[in-house]
Amino acid sequence: MAIRANPKLIEELEPYGAEDVMKCYHCGNCSAVCPFSADPYVFPRKPMRYLQMGLEDKLKGQLDPWLCYYCGECSDQCPREAEPGETMMSLRRWLTSKYDWTGISRLFYRSWRWELGAIVLVAILTAIGFTLFGMSQGSIAHYDGPDAFLPSASIHIFDWVLAGVLLTFLLSNAARMWWFTMGRDKDLPTTLGSYITSAWMLPAHFFTQVRYSKCEHKRSWATHLALMLSYVTMLVLIMFFLTRMASGPEIDWSVHVAGYFATAGLLLGTALFLRNRVKRSSAQYRHSHESDWIFLVLILIVATTGILQHILHRSGLDVAANVAYIVHLSLVVPMLALEVPFSKWSHLAYRPLAMYLAQVRATALARARSGEATALRPGAERTQAHAA
Amino acid sequence: MTERRIGVYVCNCGTNIANVVDCDAVAEAAQSLPGVAVSRSYKYMCSNPGQEMIVQDIREEGLDRVVVAACSPRMHEPTFRRAAEMAGLNPYLVQMANIREQCSWVHDPGETATDKAKDLVRAAVYRAACHEPLERMAVEMCPDTLVIGGGIAGMSAALELADAGNRVYLVERTASLGGNVARVDLTAPYLDSARDMIVDRVTRVVEHPNVDVLLESELERLDGFVGNFKATLVRRSSGEAPPRQVVDVGSVVVCTGYKEFDAARVTHFGYGKLPDVITSFEFEQMLKQGRIELKDGRLPQYVAIVHCVGSRSEEFHGYCSRVCCMTALKYAHEVKSALPKAYVSDVYVDMHAFGKGCEDFYRRSAEVKTLFLMYGKGERPVVRRADPGDDCEMLLTVDEQLSGELIELPADLIILMVGMEPRDDAGQVAHLVNISQDKDGWFIESHPKLDPVATTTDGVYIAGACQSPKDIPDSVAQARAAAARILGKISRGKLEIDAMYAEVDEDLCSGCRVCNEICPYSAIEFDEEKRRSHVISALCKACGACVATCPSAAIKARHFTDAQIFAEITGVLA
Repeated sequence: MAIRANPKLIEELEPYGAEDVMKCYHCGNCSAVCPFSADPYVFPRKPMRYLQMGLEDKLKGQLDPWLCYYCGECSDQCPREAEPGETMMSLRRWLTSKYDWTGISRLFYRSWRWELGAIVLVAILTAIGFTLFGMSQGSIAHYDGPDAFLPSASIHIFDWVLAGVLLTFLLSNAARMWWFTMGRDKDLPTTLGSYITSAWMLPAHFFTQVRYSKCEHKRSWATHLALMLSYVTMLVLIMFFLTRMASGPEIDWSVHVAGYFATAGLLLGTALFLRNRVKRSSAQYRHSHESDWIFLVLILIVATTGILQHILHRSGLDVAANVAYIVHLSLVVPMLALEVPFSKWSHLAYRPLAMYLAQVRATALARARSGEATALRPGAERTQAHAA
Repeated sequence: MTERRIGVYVCNCGTNIANVVDCDAVAEAAQSLPGVAVSRSYKYMCSNPGQEMIVQDIREEGLDRVVVAACSPRMHEPTFRRAAEMAGLNPYLVQMANIREQCSWVHDPGETATDKAKDLVRAAVYRAACHEPLERMAVEMCPDTLVIGGGIAGMSAALELADAGNRVYLVERTASLGGNVARVDLTAPYLDSARDMIVDRVTRVVEHPNVDVLLESELERLDGFVGNFKATLVRRSSGEAPPRQVVDVGSVVVCTGYKEFDAARVTHFGYGKLPDVITSFEFEQMLKQGRIELKDGRLPQYVAIVHCVGSRSEEFHGYCSRVCCMTALKYAHEVKSALPKAYVSDVYVDMHAFGKGCEDFYRRSAEVKTLFLMYGKGERPVVRRADPGDDCEMLLTVDEQLSGELIELPADLIILMVGMEPRDDAGQVAHLVNISQDKDGWFIESHPKLDPVATTTDGVYIAGACQSPKDIPDSVAQARAAAARILGKISRGKLEIDAMYAEVDEDLCSGCRVCNEICPYSAIEFDEEKRRSHVISALCKACGACVATCPSAAIKARHFTDAQIFAEITGVLA
C-alpha cells in the first residue's frame, strides 16, 4: 500500500523548531557520524526523510528521536546545514505533543505565550490558594511548629496529591507513546518475556544516562546527569522527608546535606546550560526553543527561592520565610504540573521508556527475521507442511 | 633496386625499450641489412640531440631513407618527418618501426623480444627502400561559411565569423531565428531571461552586413571539399517553385539542434489524457504568458515536476539530456515565486548539477522548501486521478528510493521534463554534409575529447545540441570553437592536403563505380563524360577501402603501394 505524502506537515513542525529539514539531500553523513545510529534505528536521516515527505503516521511510530541525546555531531557534519540534531529535537517536541491527549502540550510548544501565560496563571492561583490556606491554618509569623502558616504535614499531603495528578497525565501519555510505537503494530512479534527481561533498562537509563556518556561530548553528559540526579534527590527529599526538611531552625544534617548537594547541582547545572545557550557554544545549543528557556529559568528560580526560604527560616525571619515559601510553591506547582507532563520535562519519562521499548522492539524484529519466528506464522506452517 | 643509403636509428626510450630489447644488438643487426649505410642506437631519438644526429647523418652521410625504430608513429612520426625535412629530405622517406607499443611494452625482456624488434626494423628498412618522395597539395580556402540552423549555436558561430570580416550564409528552416532557446522563459541557474539573450543575438545577426540570413530555407546539396564547397540552398516558400541559389563556401557549421521527446510515448504519466499533465515546453509557454494555472483556470496548490521523461531509460533513450535537471529546479523557483503558497515536489532519478553555479542552485532550491523525491532508474512513477475528497487533482505513485517507501504524492499540476532527441531530419542532414551519427542519432565529432567540433569530413563542423544534448553555455562554446577552427584556416589562406591519398589509373578503370559506393568519405567522383572514376584528393583519407575493392586494380594508394606493402611483409618474414 502506498503511503500518502503530506507536503504540509513540515509547516506544522516549524513552530517546534524544524526549520531547516528541507535542506537535507540525504547524503547520510549524520547517520554515519552518530554513535547510536544502527539498524533498526537509523537516524537522523530516516526520520528526516519521513518529515520531509510528511509521513505523519510513520513519524508518530518512531522511537528514534528519543534515542538521540543531541550531541550535535550530526549538525556539525551536515554539508547542507539542515541541522539534523535540531530536527531530532523538534521531533521530540512534536512527539511529546502527539503523546499528550489533552492538547496542552501542543498549545505550549506552538506558542510560548500560552506556556508562559499558563505558568503565570497557575502560579497566581497557587499563591492565592496557599495564602488563604495558610491564613486558615495559622499565623504568617510562624514558619513551623503548632501555629505554622503552612504546616509541612499538609504540604506533604498536597505534594502527594499533585504527584498523583501529574503521574496520571504522564503515564497516560506514556501509554499512548507505547501504543503509537509498539502496541498498534500488529505484525510486531513482541513477547511479554522480552518486556520483562529488558525492564532493567528503564531504571538503568534513567539514573545513569549511560547512553549519553557514549556521545563525544562527555561534559554535556556529566552536566545533564548532575542536574537530573540533583533534581531526583530533591524530589525524594520532598516526597519522603518533607517534615524533617521543614523543621527548624536547627539544621538536620542527615537530610540537609543531601539537600545542599542537590541545590548546588541544580544551580550549577542550570547556570551552565543557560550559559551555553546564551553563548550558543556548540551545535546543540545553537538553536533554543522558547520552551528550553522557560524550562531552565523555571528550575533556576525554583532553586533560588528554595534556598531563600531555607536561609530566612534558619535565620529566624519567619514572616519573610513564609513569603518566600509561598513564592517558591507558586513556582514549584506550575513547574511540576505543567512542565513534567506537557513540556520539556516529560523527556525524563519518554527517553528511558523509548530506550526500553527500542530494545523490546529490536528483539522482536530480530525474531521476525529469524526462521523461528517465520515458522510460528500459521501461513508459514502450512507452507512447510505442504513442502514436507 | 638502386643502391639506397638508409639510416637506421634505434631509440632506447630511456629504459622503456632498452629494459626489454637489446637496442645495441638491434642497431648492429640492422647494419648488415641491404642499403643500410648508418645504424645507431640512442637514449632518446626524439630529443634535440637525437634529431640532430639524424639531420647530421642525412647531410654528411648522404642518406636517402630514414628508419626510426621507436614508439608509435602516432606519437613521433611528425617529429622525425620534420627532422628529415630540415635536412632537405622528403618527409615521406621516413619510416617508423614501432618497437615500444608493439614490442617492449608487451613482452618480457629477453632474446625473443630483441629478435622481434630486429624483425620489425628489417620490415621497416625493406619498406623504406620502396618509399617515394611525395608532395603535399595546397588548395585555396574560401573564406565564406555556411551555417546550418539559426538557433543559439548557429547565431553564435555566424556572429563570430562575420565579426572577423567573413561572409556567412545562415540557413534556417523555420520562419524565425532563435531555435529552442526562443521557447524558454528564464534560464538556469542564474534566472536570466532567455528572451533578452535571443533578441540581442537575432538583432545582431539580422543587421550584420556580413551575414545573409536565409529563413524558411535549407541545404539541398553540398559538393566539393574543404575550402571549396558548393552549397545549393533552396527556399521552401509555400506554393511557388522553390528558388535555388548556389554559394561557394570554404566551411560548413552544422547547428541543427534537437527536438523534444514526445511525452505521449510514455503512457504511465497520463499525458494527453489528464488535462494538467504538461511537458516542460508547455510549462515554459505558461511562464511566458505570466500565469501558472490549471486547465480550468484555478491556481495549483501542489506542483510536481518529474525528471528524465524519455531520458536515461532502457525503453527510450539511454543518455542524459543534461539540461532538464537544472530546468526543473528553475521551475521550482519560478513556481515558488509566483505562487508562494504552492508545494513544489521534484521527482528525480539522479540530480545532475554539474555546471557552473548549478550545485549552488540545487542547494537554494532545497532552501525554498522543494520536496525532492527520488525514483529508481527504470522505475515508472504512475499518475492517477485523485479520489473525491482529496485536496488534490492527481496522485503520483513513486517507489521512493531515499526512504524505501511507496509514496503517493498529491499533485494538481504535473510537469514532465521531456528530454532531447535528434531531429527527425538529422539523418538527412548527416547524409547531405557527409558526417556520421551515433546509435542515438547525434552527429559524431572527430575526437570526443581532443577534437570536439570537427567531423570526419574536413571543413564540416558540428556545434550545439545536434552533437549531443547540451545547455546554452556549452552550445555557444562549441559554436565559437568551430568558428575559431574556421578562422584559423581562413587566416592561413591556403590549405595543405596530406600527400597520402588514393589515385585512379584511368587507363585501368572500367567505370564500374564500385568504389563510388564503398568510399566512406564520398571522395570518389564519377566522370560521366570519360566514364571513369576519379578521387577528390582533398576529401580522401587514404583508408584504402577503394584500393582493396577495385576489381581492375586501377586504384593505387600513395604511400601504401603494393610494392611497399609486399616489401614490408618480405622484411618481417625474412
